[in-house]
Amino acid sequence: MSSGGTQRAVGDSLTGFEREITQDRVDAYAEASGDHNPIHLDESYASTTQFGTRIAHGMLSLALVTEMLAIEFPSTWHSGGKLKVRFSAPVFPGETVVTYGEITAIDETEDGLSATYTIGCKKPDGTDAVVGRATVPLE
Amino acid sequence: MVTPLISTATVGHEFGPYDVTIPADRANAYANSIGGEESPDYGDSLAPIMVVAAALTRLIDDLGLFSEGLQTVHAGQEVSWVRQIRIGEQVEATARLAANSVRRGNHFATVAVTYRDSTGTEVGTSSTTIIVSGETS
Repeated sequence: MSSGGTQRAVGDSLTGFEREITQDRVDAYAEASGDHNPIHLDESYASTTQFGTRIAHGMLSLALVTEMLAIEFPSTWHSGGKLKVRFSAPVFPGETVVTYGEITAIDETEDGLSATYTIGCKKPDGTDAVVGRATVPLE
Repeated sequence: MVTPLISTATVGHEFGPYDVTIPADRANAYANSIGGEESPDYGDSLAPIMVVAAALTRLIDDLGLFSEGLQTVHAGQEVSWVRQIRIGEQVEATARLAANSVRRGNHFATVAVTYRDSTGTEVGTSSTTIIVSGETS
């Protein structure tokens, strides 16, 4: 199905981007969110956990995915967008992740057309750190 | 060791309300953490996921998940949003424990959150699923 005037179709991809998750970004995210859990910030503590080192906040990786959606849908993502994801692998400071998305369906709703995307964020080895789906009203 | 609330709270337990108003300094920290050349200009608005993260931090604290010895995995997240929020705009979050079970010694909990503006109008919802291990009780 094509989305008519919006010129979107099943199989279309979102424009993803790369981001190196530096410890500085993790530290800044702790300030933004208020989440100062030492597993994100304190290497000596983190070395005693199941991960063996510091990990980025899962919500930081998800925020990158939502940033991709905000770039693609500046007027509708924050006004009617929905997402559901699972966090499938931790991201370690120093890793570069890549966001992605692809349309799997375009549906007619009471409020007009909406697109459903598979979305996520991949680690350098190609595994998903975050994976799920998002629904966005089409403009 | 104090028993964390996650060990005793039953489904339907309510949390909050939490003031999750995001001031400019935290919005700037978010931009420093997430932003890049391709990032949109939010102007005086916020990425709603930041409000969700602020509420989640308060929930984790209230559930006792910052307690020493506990290891918490953020397993899943749902978010829906109605409208953009401005930097400094008052937003209040209320939450309810939607599921809480124990399997093989791990707690699996889901907390549903509703966000309202100063008029009481709903501006978004979220649902967080966490897995907690390492409890001694």
